[in-house]
Amino acid sequence: MTDGLLLLGGGVAAGVFGSLLGLGGGILIVPLLTLAFGLPLIEAVGVSLVCVIMTSGAAAGVYLERRVANLRLGMTLELFTAIGALVGGLVAFLLPEHLLELIFAGLLAYVAVTMARPRETAPAGASAPAADGPDPATLEPVSTDDEPSSDRPFIETLSGPGYRVHRLGWGVVGSLGAGLASALLGIGGGLIKVPTMHVIMGVPLRVATATSNLMIGITASASAIIYLIRGGIDPYAAAPTAIGVFIGASFGSRAAHRIDLRILRGLFVVILLYTAWQMLQRAMA
Amino acid sequence: MTPAGADRRADPSETRLEHSIARLLTGGSYAAIALLAVGFGLMLVNGIGPLTRGPGFDVTTIPGDLLALRPAGFLWLGLIVVLATPASRVMAALIGYARRGERRMSLVAALILLVIALSVVVATGLEG
Repeated sequence: MTDGLLLLGGGVAAGVFGSLLGLGGGILIVPLLTLAFGLPLIEAVGVSLVCVIMTSGAAAGVYLERRVANLRLGMTLELFTAIGALVGGLVAFLLPEHLLELIFAGLLAYVAVTMARPRETAPAGASAPAADGPDPATLEPVSTDDEPSSDRPFIETLSGPGYRVHRLGWGVVGSLGAGLASALLGIGGGLIKVPTMHVIMGVPLRVATATSNLMIGITASASAIIYLIRGGIDPYAAAPTAIGVFIGASFGSRAAHRIDLRILRGLFVVILLYTAWQMLQRAMA
Repeated sequence: MTPAGADRRADPSETRLEHSIARLLTGGSYAAIALLAVGFGLMLVNGIGPLTRGPGFDVTTIPGDLLALRPAGFLWLGLIVVLATPASRVMAALIGYARRGERRMSLVAALILLVIALSVVVATGLEG
């Protein structure tokens, strides 16, 4: 019983931290399950995928209801995140665990460095759309001269109020990479999707973050199905973690405006670096 | 100049479609969390720890486990709802876009479902 409650509490903490800092839970859940509870990495990734689908599902419903997320763009890109995730889900069972741990340690260090820098874009954007993002309605349409003419009609159907979507090809490449990373590491993939949509494709940050959140469900479920059928998801470990993350994320999104995020961010950078070091040691062991 | 997508998104039928998908996502998430919570409650009652290796995934055992109030039945059903909710959202979008005669978006939705189906087939084949 104690382990169950500890796992529930750990899930709550991961959910609170994740939603306060705009990260998906995966980056925290995988180290929690492997380093603190001794689960094999492949099982931790499977459980993490379940958690990110849970938390993104409820949030994505709200973003769609408020019409912040762009359903057409999200569906077009998630076709490719799903393909990347399908490949990643199959590859994950072939790669040695220490290699995955090494990649995860690199990811943790990267996120820590990104968070330590002054913020210009959402760091991961998997949980909540940034309330301070630019208003799509105030953005001017940008020139489309660099797009092949054959792409224009379809791209235009993906655009939204006040913004025009560009460079769909780069979006496809970024989505394939996000799907692959999601399946291998148990993350939502917002780290790749949000910058791709915002910086490369010209989608406002708020819309990119919400659309990325909407896409997590399909991205993660394409590989989570493989984990489920191949025995990579343990129901006893998944339940308390997923419930905890769900509760934590709900609480975090409500408390975000009352907490000084600068201090929290600094603390989190330290935790991430320490976790990266622990994961690196585990990979080298 | 207004992008074509903005005009489409202002369409009332598109708004209805997005709202129904939103309700489906929210409902699916809450249904899944309820099933997992019941399963976790039964785990605590039966003294099952989360680090104990759980039973393997087998769809045929779920109804029996549910009737016998065994935690595994509720947990597996909850996990199935978690994984099926995003695909249901794409299915709803496919129906919505097909009704509107939008062939390209219908094709995109159909291809996503095909990739998901491929995941099931490939994983099942590898396990078999």
